[in-house]
Amino acid sequence: MRNAIAIAKKELYLYFTTPIAYVVFFATSFIGAFFFLSFTSEFQRRSLQFMQFQAPEMLERMNLTDMIATPLVLNMGVILIFVVPFLTMRLLAEERRQKTMELLMTAPVRSGEIVLGKYLAALGVLLVVIGIVAVFPALLDTYGSGGGVEWQTVAAALAGLFLCGAGFVAVGLFVSALTESQVVAALITFLVLLLTWIVGWKAADADGVWHDVMTHLSSVQHLLSFSRGIVELQDLVYFVSLAVIGLFLTHRAVEARRWA
Amino acid sequence: MIEVSQLTKRYRDLVAIEDLSFQVEKGEILGFLGPNGAGKSTTMRILTGFQPATSGTAKVAGFDVFEQPLEVKKRVGYLPEIPPVYPDMTVAAYLRFVAELKGVPRRARRDEVDRVAEAAKVAHVMDRLIANVSKGYKQRVGIAQALLGKPDVLILDEPTVGLDPSQILEVRDLVRSLAGEHTVILSTHILQEVIATCDKVLIIARGKRVAHERLADLQARHPGKSLDEIFLDLTSDLRTAAPGTVPVRAA
Repeated sequence: MRNAIAIAKKELYLYFTTPIAYVVFFATSFIGAFFFLSFTSEFQRRSLQFMQFQAPEMLERMNLTDMIATPLVLNMGVILIFVVPFLTMRLLAEERRQKTMELLMTAPVRSGEIVLGKYLAALGVLLVVIGIVAVFPALLDTYGSGGGVEWQTVAAALAGLFLCGAGFVAVGLFVSALTESQVVAALITFLVLLLTWIVGWKAADADGVWHDVMTHLSSVQHLLSFSRGIVELQDLVYFVSLAVIGLFLTHRAVEARRWA
Repeated sequence: MIEVSQLTKRYRDLVAIEDLSFQVEKGEILGFLGPNGAGKSTTMRILTGFQPATSGTAKVAGFDVFEQPLEVKKRVGYLPEIPPVYPDMTVAAYLRFVAELKGVPRRARRDEVDRVAEAAKVAHVMDRLIANVSKGYKQRVGIAQALLGKPDVLILDEPTVGLDPSQILEVRDLVRSLAGEHTVILSTHILQEVIATCDKVLIIARGKRVAHERLADLQARHPGKSLDEIFLDLTSDLRTAAPGTVPVRAA
């Protein structure tokens, strides 16, 4: 564990001395602000409409949590598909290209610790990304009227977003272990993550077993119930197993390199 | 300190080293000579646990490289052919990271980093990004990294490549000063380097051992010849059988 932390510290150092972390934070805040503004203006438009039509029962049903905060978090899931490949592409691919893998592999460190350290560092950056997303509900809570946001629901949504990201990072780390090129690693990770997202669209057309299989495979489907404030075991299992399988395969890939 | 017996490494149909056996005593400096592509780097990678051998055994300080790799890695400082440095780190941050990786205790870390920086003469570039220092400095940072944690065994793969003549002399002095306390294997294809620094010489050609003895004994066995000629003689009868390899001019 001590060794894993040493590696995580080095990766964090590199994230923050190169532009990578800052670009990720910028993209998150920019796109987050975009969603935030469009959801709030939509909210405004509707509440004005209902006031004009004198429909108080409709007005009562509108709240900041369901109409702005949780859709925002769900939409940020899409942003993770773009951001995570960027975070993970360098992790192992660059070590091989720069021949620094030789340093790590000849230091008294297990390959599992190398993989874990890199994973923890990426999770650290991911945590900041989630923190940036959390700023938007906090703004609503501070400046919104009518009781602000329902924090339990928002917290569940944010936790779901983090778990989703943690699964995605493990996938990206694995892809990064397979190639020496950062660009190839980023592109393939992006494709795989996008696939887990769009498989949900296709599920709507499928019948029977296929419908169920595709729904369960879809990452957006599992993020959906989190974003409604519901923590279900199957969703938890989906993201955690994505992370575990990703890390396991990464470890195998790193070990296999020795024998190549 | 180092025992290698019948070590063989094959990459698919290419034989990198074949049935290589040698020993290095504690405190000895062994010059590891051979033309390019002779299998020097492969041997060193096996000794450091970076790659497994196809067959045969290698032991460092009594620990089998394959069976107990972590014990071996704790005792070996390794400078690969290409210095394993991160261009986006400063020299100081890099050395601190490697010290932590090698398990140098937190309290001793600063002193240890200062010590190796002094020994490898990189103390005045500590705050510069590795990307911005010259090739010679990258090589020296690589040497500094290998010295961290005072390992019993140092394995240096062509440590003077990319250095200017005065730096080469400094590195030779540094290596010489390590004798006694550390056991050193130093690979090179420069004969002068071996003459200047090593006790014993191990010459391999095309993956096979062609000589392993004290320098004086080697010269005594080939009277009237310079070391350059001996080296060419020893490596050339095997080289004629290898198409496409370019003879190496000893510097």
